[in-house]
Amino acid sequence: MSSKVGMGRESGRLKDADKKKVLDTATRNRRARRALESLEMDNYQQDPHADIVLNKKAPKFLDTIEAKGGRRKKEKSAEYYKQKFRRTFEQLIEADQFINRDPPNYNTIEAPSSNFPRRIFCAVCGFRSSYTCTTCGARYCCISCLGTHQATRCLKWAV
Amino acid sequence: MNTKSYILDNGAYTAKVGHTDDETPKIIPNYIMKAKSERRRTFIGDQLSECRDKSGLYFMLGFQKGYLLNWDIQKTVWDYIFSKDCCKANFLEMPLIVTEPYFNFSSIQEGMTEMFFEEYEFQALLRTNAGNLSCYHYHHDKPSTKCCLVVETGYSFTHIVPYILQKKFKPGMLRINVGGKILTNHLKEVISYRQLHVMEETYVMNQCKEDLCFMSTDFDRDHKIAKMKWPKNTIVRDYVLPDYTTVNRGIIRTLDETSVSRTIDKDQQVLRMNNERFTIPEILFYPNDIGIPQMGISEAIILSINLCPEETRPHLYNNIIVTGGNGCFPGFEERLTKEVRALAPDEFDVSVTVPENPITYAWHGGNLLSKDPDFFSLVVTKEEYDEEGFSACHRFDV
Ligand SMILES: [Zn+2]
Ligand SMILES: [Zn+2]
Repeated sequence: MSSKVGMGRESGRLKDADKKKVLDTATRNRRARRALESLEMDNYQQDPHADIVLNKKAPKFLDTIEAKGGRRKKEKSAEYYKQKFRRTFEQLIEADQFINRDPPNYNTIEAPSSNFPRRIFCAVCGFRSSYTCTTCGARYCCISCLGTHQATRCLKWAV
Repeated sequence: MNTKSYILDNGAYTAKVGHTDDETPKIIPNYIMKAKSERRRTFIGDQLSECRDKSGLYFMLGFQKGYLLNWDIQKTVWDYIFSKDCCKANFLEMPLIVTEPYFNFSSIQEGMTEMFFEEYEFQALLRTNAGNLSCYHYHHDKPSTKCCLVVETGYSFTHIVPYILQKKFKPGMLRINVGGKILTNHLKEVISYRQLHVMEETYVMNQCKEDLCFMSTDFDRDHKIAKMKWPKNTIVRDYVLPDYTTVNRGIIRTLDETSVSRTIDKDQQVLRMNNERFTIPEILFYPNDIGIPQMGISEAIILSINLCPEETRPHLYNNIIVTGGNGCFPGFEERLTKEVRALAPDEFDVSVTVPENPITYAWHGGNLLSKDPDFFSLVVTKEEYDEEGFSACHRFDV
């Protein structure tokens, strides 16, 4: 099949540069996990106001609600609630395992893995792919996409 | 007691708010934003309309992974939502219906209860899941139905929840960790890799997703179409990014429009959306496409129904209702019907409904519920809370 052509060129290149790296499974898995974790991020940039310090006028939080039927009571600040209920997601999960020991609970309702085989797409262009990069395991669909992959992604990601 | 309630469907990304009297809720961004261009202030909720240049917006959300974690942010947004500038709440005279995620962690439940009774002093409180309200809405429209299966697909995740005689059947519940946030972030990533660096443009790329992505009803066919050259390729579009001087929201163009106008506005940044238009929403049906080791919506529906009592299954297959923002992708209803039909046993009729507005469907359920003669038997009053504390809230079905 045409994949042989791709593989042939690959091995030719291997001989030229025998120091060519091949990422091990653990590294590949780590990269895959990183990629998934990054999908949970709210922002990829720095806080644009991060350099604003000691400027009391800057980020204004409404500390009180005006006019609750005209009267003002001892409203607590946003900071109070932040401190009082501060928990990380991991802490919440951990506590939940004691409180809601018996299923169903947060952990047990997670949908299991699919029974369908994974569909494979080119990491570069997004169309169906038939080839695998021998270095990192990424998929590609043609020589041109492989070239792009090697030039931009293959070993360039910090791991 | 006052018969007018305040209804807050408190989603991780948008809050849907309004009163019993309101015909439709306001949809308020449930976050705070910082803009590069405006260093003297932040934007809370829909104050964003006052921000001229929305490039590089920085998001601060109260929710993480679908649960309320950043209380200072949430309180700041709630303070704004309840104020006269947004959707005024007369706390002392009003019961509050508020939604929270399935299996909400107990310390978060306590925190919310304390805030609504002690800080805001609502007269009465009903904490519930958006899915419960959707089920109520569905049953209200079709009173003869015994069961329904709510597919709630929002910003943080997707839940499949069977309701039997209007009560959620917990052993059949499933969660897929794919929601609108991941879809937008993945779109940002592929566009940044293939064309133009947009990793910092979450706000703009979310709009691009809303404007151009669709649920393919035939994945292989659409792949073939997208591989062809325009004009045979009927899928490819250009998206003119807003520059916030002449363009305030992205503009969709066909390629012939682009070729005509290219000479005029060559300063504009243009993205080309081709297979991205349908491979992004596809992740909801095949999370494995991007390496998330979970089954997608159709497969999870089959599993969920199989976890339910046998006599309920025909009813569940026949009453599938989709809510949440991802339900807005064109083609969703057709695609889900097609896949569930193919996977379900032949003897069952399959019926999938994506309501006209899947985002506000639960809120309308809450609105209907607030008019139910039995509504006040469901709430916890401030007096009860003052006497019994948090334990008064154990009657809530969350
Ligand atoms: Zn390719
Ligand atoms: Zn590679």
